[in-house]
Amino acid sequence: MNKTGMLGYLTRSLQVKMLLSSQCVVVAGGIIALMLGIRLYGKSIFEQAQDRVANDLSAARMVYLQEVNTIETVVQMTAERFFIKEGLAQSRFERVEQELQRVKTQNSFDLLTLTDPRGIVLLRIHNPPGRGDDLSEKDMIREALKGEPIAGTAILSAEDLAREGDSLVERACIDLVPTEQSKPRRLRCETSGMVLQAASPVTDESGRVLGVLCGGKVLNRNGTIVDRIRDTLFGEKTYRGRDVGTATIFLWDLRIATNVRTVDGERAIGTSVSSDVYERVLEQGGRYTGRAFVVHSSYITAYEPIRDTAGKIVGMLYVGILEQPFLDIRNEVIYAFLGVAVVGMIITFMLSVVLTKSITRPVNKLVKATRELSAGSFPSEVRVYSNDEIGHLADTFNSMSRDLCRTMEEKDAVNKNLLELNQRYLELLGFTTHELKQPLEVLNGYLIMLQNESIGTLTTSQQREAIGDMRINVTLMTDMIQKYLQLSKIESGELSVHRRRTKVYPEIVQPLLTGEEQRLASRKMALSFENREVLEHLELDVDPLLMRIVFSNLIDNAIKYGRKEGTITVGYSPHNGFHRFHVANEGSGIPPQFLNRVFEKFARIGKAGNVKVMGTGLGLYNTRVIVEKHGGKIWVESEEGRWADFIFLIPDGHL
Amino acid sequence: MNTKEKILVVDDYPSDQKMITMALESENYEVITASDGKEGIAKARSEKPDLIIMDVMMPEEDGLDACRELKSDPACSHIPIVIHTSIHDSPIILREFQKVTESPYADAYIDKPCNPEDLVAVVKKCLSR
Repeated sequence: MNKTGMLGYLTRSLQVKMLLSSQCVVVAGGIIALMLGIRLYGKSIFEQAQDRVANDLSAARMVYLQEVNTIETVVQMTAERFFIKEGLAQSRFERVEQELQRVKTQNSFDLLTLTDPRGIVLLRIHNPPGRGDDLSEKDMIREALKGEPIAGTAILSAEDLAREGDSLVERACIDLVPTEQSKPRRLRCETSGMVLQAASPVTDESGRVLGVLCGGKVLNRNGTIVDRIRDTLFGEKTYRGRDVGTATIFLWDLRIATNVRTVDGERAIGTSVSSDVYERVLEQGGRYTGRAFVVHSSYITAYEPIRDTAGKIVGMLYVGILEQPFLDIRNEVIYAFLGVAVVGMIITFMLSVVLTKSITRPVNKLVKATRELSAGSFPSEVRVYSNDEIGHLADTFNSMSRDLCRTMEEKDAVNKNLLELNQRYLELLGFTTHELKQPLEVLNGYLIMLQNESIGTLTTSQQREAIGDMRINVTLMTDMIQKYLQLSKIESGELSVHRRRTKVYPEIVQPLLTGEEQRLASRKMALSFENREVLEHLELDVDPLLMRIVFSNLIDNAIKYGRKEGTITVGYSPHNGFHRFHVANEGSGIPPQFLNRVFEKFARIGKAGNVKVMGTGLGLYNTRVIVEKHGGKIWVESEEGRWADFIFLIPDGHL
Repeated sequence: MNTKEKILVVDDYPSDQKMITMALESENYEVITASDGKEGIAKARSEKPDLIIMDVMMPEEDGLDACRELKSDPACSHIPIVIHTSIHDSPIILREFQKVTESPYADAYIDKPCNPEDLVAVVKKCLSR
């Protein structure tokens, strides 16, 4: 089946049309539902993830603050201890130094410094030689000198760090590592340090400030807090070898402590944030949540600013969840959706096939029954067990079919009756005419013998005239009977065409003309031929008996209706694969209104004037039937008052 | 002509038979008659006619069967037979006749209704052969 054939088939079948339309609806609905579902579900997954990461950030902030609190508590409690008050009061610092050294070690402080009431450094545990510098202008120390403990985040410049010890300068110094999406930075190296710090005044019993104890941890390269945040929030979970959750502390926009890893597996210290995050958090001071590209992977992230004790933004705290698990969950859901949709479509297709079949089956039954009906057979009742339009259609069809069947049966009965009647009429006609013929033949025979005087002499001219008239009338009657016999045979189907190779002129035309010689002579008519030489040698595949009737009737007509002393013309010519014959006579011709009617059964041409022409009205009818049975055609042309020309075509049997 | 030539007319219709007889006798032929095929064959064998005029549609045995029988009988096969029937009556018969004329079952055909003059002419033609 070619394409158009297939298309044709598809558009011809009602069931296929219904199936296609229902499937179109299902598929379109399915696709819309699928797309909406995926979109909504994807959105909700990411919204949930963002909510979670926002909560995680709050929790991270708690961990961060807890660290600050711990430092604050340690510093405060240490400042309350007796040995330190006593040491400051007496300016004896050996024991103080020892104790503070222990405190620093126990609490992993990076710096622990004691000043006098003016802010001058008395002891610097991390860097014992560094003493005597003035810290009174530092925010925290200034606040503590006023008698209030304070804790929080502070930024120490490279100079500050240098005072606290060379090892801290080294630790704080971070080279910038550019990444794909990080915002460009002016400097290639960060030298400041971010410090969690607490400062607490040391007071005597009366509340007088004896000095300030200040302790803290440098966050640069310090993974402790971020790892605690991570462990608290996410545990040890990894996804495809990567940590599920990560936390980072930024100095300004630079990662100084993180558990985000570079491709090499190193902590991604020295990398910076993207412009989006920079603007939102550092410039606008807000919280950023959303997808962000962190170093090398996509994370669902939350950032918020870290402020120093004066409220100035100094850095950021970050928590992120790897996006990949959520993407994978979403993809799994999409695949599940797709699977369900495909299964659903298959099920609806199968259901549609069943349902449409239940609709089209009765329609097909009706189509089949209609075809049977139009082919002429009466189909059995179309059974449709539904009370819908198709059911009504089937009922109507059945009732129509029954009515039609009844009508046809009645019609058949009438027809049969008519056929029988016609058969009887033909039999009667044939019988009667046949029975009439024989006596007439005998009568004619005797009349000829009488007229010829071969059985005795006629004595008077009246006798001769009477016998002549008798002969004319007997001949007319014989002629009529011949025509009726032909008719009965034609109509009863007895005259079927038996073709054989026939020499038209010697076998048919010439004997007829010879038989008519007397009549022609008595009417002083002349005969003429057209194309006589061809006609004389012409051989055709025709039924010679039937063709003889054709020529006989036409020649008889030409003599009968031709004028006395006129010419009768018999002509032949080949004509477009047909053989064209014509028989013409001079005479009154045929009025135009009768030209088409002369070949009708019992048609007789009313001749102008009072010339009486006997006839049955059957000759030309018989002639036409015979010509048509040969696959030919006959007609007449005429000029009224001058001539009539009967023309017929016979197909060439060899063509 | 010392002896009259004898012609057998086989026809079931008496008037026809009589009319033909009269026409032939007026031409000085001796005529014998038979009313059906069977009688015709018997007369042909016993009377040895010079010519037979045979109708076709007859009771007992039809003319064509009679022709076949006579032509296959060595004693009669030399006798000329003229079939006498109507072309319009029964084309089937004429077709049969055509077959007959192709084989030597009959020697001539004359159409009904017959002009006695034509009949005599055919008879004369056949006898002079």
